[in-house]
Amino acid sequence: MDYTDTAEQAALREVVRDFCQRHAGPSAWPRLTSELGLAGLAIDESHGGMGATLAEVAIAVEELGRVLLPVPYLSTALAGAVLSVAPADADLLPELASGKLTAAFAFGDSVTVTDGHLDGVVTHVLDGAEAGVFLVSAGGSLHAVRAADTSVTPADTLDLTRSQASVEFRRSRAVDTGADPGHAEDLLRVLLAAESAAAAGYCLEVTVGYLKTRRQFSRPIGTFQALRHRCADLTVEVSSARATACAALAADDVSVLGPLAKKYCADVFWHVAAEMIQLHGGIGFTWEHQAHRYLKRAKTTQLLHGSPAQLRRMVADRAGLV
Amino acid sequence: MEDAEFRQHVRDWLENQLTGEFASLVGTGGPGREHEFVTERLAWERRLGDGGWIGLGWPEADGGRGLPWRQQVIFYEEYTRAGAPARVGHMGEQLLGPTLLMFGTQEQKARFLPGILSGTQMWCQGYSEPDAGSDLAAVRTRAVLADGEWHLSGQKIWTSLAHVADWCFVLARTDPARERHQGLSYLLVPMNQPGVEIRPIVQLTGKSEFNEVFFDDARAQADDIVGAAGDGWRVAMGTLGVERGVSTFGQQLGFRREFEGVLAAARANRSIDDPDIAARITDAWIGLQVMLFYAEATLGNTAGTPAGTAPGTEANIAKLLWAPWHQRLGELAADVAGAGVTVTGPDYALSDAQTLFLYTRADTIYGGSNEIQRDIIAERGLGLPRG
Repeated sequence: MDYTDTAEQAALREVVRDFCQRHAGPSAWPRLTSELGLAGLAIDESHGGMGATLAEVAIAVEELGRVLLPVPYLSTALAGAVLSVAPADADLLPELASGKLTAAFAFGDSVTVTDGHLDGVVTHVLDGAEAGVFLVSAGGSLHAVRAADTSVTPADTLDLTRSQASVEFRRSRAVDTGADPGHAEDLLRVLLAAESAAAAGYCLEVTVGYLKTRRQFSRPIGTFQALRHRCADLTVEVSSARATACAALAADDVSVLGPLAKKYCADVFWHVAAEMIQLHGGIGFTWEHQAHRYLKRAKTTQLLHGSPAQLRRMVADRAGLV
Repeated sequence: MEDAEFRQHVRDWLENQLTGEFASLVGTGGPGREHEFVTERLAWERRLGDGGWIGLGWPEADGGRGLPWRQQVIFYEEYTRAGAPARVGHMGEQLLGPTLLMFGTQEQKARFLPGILSGTQMWCQGYSEPDAGSDLAAVRTRAVLADGEWHLSGQKIWTSLAHVADWCFVLARTDPARERHQGLSYLLVPMNQPGVEIRPIVQLTGKSEFNEVFFDDARAQADDIVGAAGDGWRVAMGTLGVERGVSTFGQQLGFRREFEGVLAAARANRSIDDPDIAARITDAWIGLQVMLFYAEATLGNTAGTPAGTAPGTEANIAKLLWAPWHQRLGELAADVAGAGVTVTGPDYALSDAQTLFLYTRADTIYGGSNEIQRDIIAERGLGLPRG
């Protein structure tokens, strides 16, 4: 997070932010991967990546999240990070690093593994509609399955900036990567937390900017204390969410901090996005305005990979509170 | 000394000292308990001074230890961990001392710093007045220089520990022709004199930690003014945020102890089996972590100013995090205690849960009400235009 960016990380953040100002839409993906090499950030250089860490991946996730760039970066970059430590599937890494192959994660316990083949259905697979490879939780391990060996049904999503799919495995050929699916999902939660905190920060910036220019009663509406105090409260939420995501990214053990950070940051994101609409008034309710896209991303993030209530119980359990 | 060695040194010292006459002071004092063991805690202040534990971060040339920030934090952490009594001399050490270091003359530093460092001279803060609370610049206490002395008249309120203080640093209007932030001066006034009357305020807890202080032709020496006459606002504001930083991590540890007390109570009476209580306990624990993360993000790097939302308002943001959190913990403590919390001991003696529940209503008011904190964040942090 930007609380602790090194000079190199700050430079990366600037490059990605600059890129996002010049490119929009799914067509940004080839340039994002070829020009910037972002897909391979966390992949070792020997496999065609850049050999960076999850902290750098998070910077890209945050910057793409600020503008909700509709590319399957989150899952693909995480796949690179997870598989880099699971050498059994090294042949996937160069393809992921190049961006020609994108990944998606299928968690849960609905898939069974028999003799290296998977059976079952997983719904709400984020970035699943365009994925070339699925990383599937089955039998306590993460298995790689090529999309060609599955049946993928893209979903019509509430959030139009991130795809979902329902993926059916039927005697699908799988390679056991040896990676721990529970740990992978916790890392995904950490990245979702970082993305949510950054997107919430963007929503607040835009909203504060609007309050400075929108005039009613012959003055900027940002002069009204009822609105100023709400922005101050949102500032507290956004600042603390950033710090929380930052702590989760720096942690060695994310079994508690993954769910904790995802819950806190997604809740904040949801609240800030909802307030963004209210503080924009009527224009905030239109399709044309960007606010609704953040509201939908926030709710999607909040409910997938652990709802707030589920994550709270998870934190309580893993922290030994109850 | 290395940090780890320093920590062990602090720990050993505290362990050796919190015995005998001081053993009963463990866990005493502080917000909601400021009335406890005052005489004994004054003795403890002198012990701290003798041990060289006051003014850890002050320059050595001014009698301090000149310790790095990290070791000051370690001291506060160990102090809290040991349950050492809440300080009585904190207003001298954390408010007046830094003010003198920043704005005082050599003579003033030589006159007042040794008493603070030795734990023998107690200070209180004379800022708020009945009509100058959130609007502090409305201060009306008058001070007139005549016959080589300042003559003070007026009323201060919410003055913590005024009854044990030897001195008060007072914000008074010395130029009646000027208004608001202009014409105020920062005066050092002895408390033991005929013109000073102290009346305790009974709080909703039934205890008294705050006072009203009446000045009726009270006197201060002509040169006991910090900064120039009329420059008092700048002097008072200059050190408002100084004490944050190092004490924050100690405060966090204190919160953790209180949380663990509530958790233990919920386990003991099985109220934690109630999903609603369990959820609130978990949220409190999450909030505790989040506050710590925010403190680490904004204070952890002593060298740099943290980048982030609303730069310069980190202390205001921190208060809006901890005060409502602490208040909710107080509410949770009461709900966990259940029906029993509705009955007190004789003479309105309060349990820990009752004290936490009642006293935390003050958290969102004192030290700049939460509404004032929001005003500051909106204006200075977000740059929203004033009405």
